[in-house]
Amino acid sequence: MSIIEARGLSKSFMQAVKEPGLAGAVKHLFIPKHIEKIAVQPLNLSVEAGETVAYVGPNGAGKSTTIKMLTGILMPSAGSISVNGINPYKKRMENAAQIGAVFGQRTQLWWDIPIVESFSLLKDIYQIPEPVYKANLDQFTELLGMNEFIHLSARKLSLGQRMRADLAAALLHNPPILYLDEPTIGLDVSVKQKIREFIKKINQEQQTTVMLTTHDLGDIEDLCKRLIIIDHGSIIYDGSLSEVKSRFARNRVIFFQVGVPMPELYNLLSQTPGMKLDRQNEQEFSVSFDRYEYTASEVVSRVMKHGEVIDFRMEDANIEQVIKAVYDGNLDLNQKGE
Amino acid sequence: MPVVKLKKYRSIANRSLQNVLSYRFSYVVTFLSNAINLLAVYFLWAGIYGGRETVGGYTWDQMKTYLLVTFLANSVLSWYSETAISGKILDGSVAVDLLKPIDFQTARFSETLGTSLLEGGISTIILVIFSFFISGLALPHSALVYVLFALSLLGAIAVKFGVVYLAALLCFWSTGSMGIVWTRIALTNLLSGALVPLAFFPGWLERTALLLPFQSIIHTPTMIFLEQAGTLESLKLIGIQCFWGAALWIAGKFMWNWAVRQVTIHGG
Ligand SMILES: Nc1ncnc2c1ncn2[C@@H]1O[C@H](COP(=O)(O)OP(=O)(O)OP(=O)(O)O)[C@@H](O)[C@H]1O
Ligand SMILES: [Mg+2]
Repeated sequence: MSIIEARGLSKSFMQAVKEPGLAGAVKHLFIPKHIEKIAVQPLNLSVEAGETVAYVGPNGAGKSTTIKMLTGILMPSAGSISVNGINPYKKRMENAAQIGAVFGQRTQLWWDIPIVESFSLLKDIYQIPEPVYKANLDQFTELLGMNEFIHLSARKLSLGQRMRADLAAALLHNPPILYLDEPTIGLDVSVKQKIREFIKKINQEQQTTVMLTTHDLGDIEDLCKRLIIIDHGSIIYDGSLSEVKSRFARNRVIFFQVGVPMPELYNLLSQTPGMKLDRQNEQEFSVSFDRYEYTASEVVSRVMKHGEVIDFRMEDANIEQVIKAVYDGNLDLNQKGE
Repeated sequence: MPVVKLKKYRSIANRSLQNVLSYRFSYVVTFLSNAINLLAVYFLWAGIYGGRETVGGYTWDQMKTYLLVTFLANSVLSWYSETAISGKILDGSVAVDLLKPIDFQTARFSETLGTSLLEGGISTIILVIFSFFISGLALPHSALVYVLFALSLLGAIAVKFGVVYLAALLCFWSTGSMGIVWTRIALTNLLSGALVPLAFFPGWLERTALLLPFQSIIHTPTMIFLEQAGTLESLKLIGIQCFWGAALWIAGKFMWNWAVRQVTIHGG
């Protein structure tokens, strides 16, 4: 059985509808009106041990809601969940011992005591054996570069420092499963890089199963082999990242810089079906084409026939464009993995 | 509870103590204001006693002692613990606690004990300073009374925690919780004997107050310290504290189960 297994999992919230103004508030007091908001439609999900899964979708798609149900802090409206054989909602404490979780918006560190003290409290809470704790603390401190702030209290940390400390805190007890809800939100490039390297290493060394939500496509490309896209509470894609790229990112672009303007080439290219010419100026232009119709070398050799090419570079299938197209509703992904 | 499990909570108490220590400044301010308050109450009562032998059966010496004991019993579980629990609920950080393999109630109680240690320590210092300037305190002479008194203070913490915890959990139900907190403080102050000794109440109110848990918080420790209760009677009062402590603890468990359902159904 998969380490994370959800069947027909769904969640709806009651949202209060208040009319604006004081009159609305008073009216709501006497005749409360609620509408049912379906945050997650019945969905199935299986994650195997050791997988890294990116769970993405536009704002309000239901990502955090799903993660909260998997961690046991939100009760599903319907459906079943089993995480390592445990129902996270019914056996919250048991489940808590085997998972690590980081909610980017929230910290689990104590505000006013040094980070190391928060860590050693976790050691007692999770009953981590001393040698394991020591080894993890040393390794995490080094990998995440926490030396400079581990003696400060959480209140004094910058966002990036706090996030690193939170990530370490979530992993001190070597949980087999790690949930990350927007772990890189608001971080600079180098901290993001550190965090990604760290997660990757933990996943490889300890076979930790990682499920992460993010709006940062770099996270996905760096970390995850599997991609699940959710929109309006339903899973619209579940498959490998490379597959989604090859299936949906058909467009390739080559940028050229040439020695002399080539009017006849421009004419020719504009008339070729399946190619699109985009001219920046006299000597710089780009050609986009369908990678299933033409190969890159075909395109390049066509241009070279007309004259000297000083420089060219190719932009490959970009997950960003694919996901954007899905969000915008321009791309219809077949339902998969049901 | 097995030893390893206890260690978790001892650790929580320790961190909570560290946490309040980082608020040294606000502590100094709080205790200054407490000391001033104590002075004010002291002079108020001095005025009331002016020329009188006894008021409501209390001599002036007894009353002075009563005020000091009340001060101590009141301070061991004060504003900080109070706001820490309801604050967790109000700002939603209770979700973080749900992600930990710890019992919420025991964890909060451990935190409270951690801070009580500090608060009790500081108030004892203030009290010792005070007692240098005040003559004729009715101090008990038997060591047994001090032991019973210490036990009754522990009992008082347990009962007060129970009341505070239940009130804090009510915040799940109503988001405008400061009202709940203030109401609880007013009720506790009145019915515990913190404002005036219960003996000053009209008969019906005194009888009612004695049936409620609040009296365990102030009334019981003062009765014991002023030796208004004999040894046997003191033990009985401590027994009542234990009863209330346990009853409120169990009520807290039920209430927490209800509260968790609110969080997990409606989202934290
Ligand atoms: N506690 C709640 N009460 C009522 N509605 C809620 C609650 N939590 C979430 N929702 C609603 O459920 C939907 C999904 O929210 P969710 O937080 O899961 O989105 P998300 O995919 O994490 O979005 P984002 O990328 O912005 O974090 C939203 O429409 C939201 O308004
Ligand atoms: Mg979210």
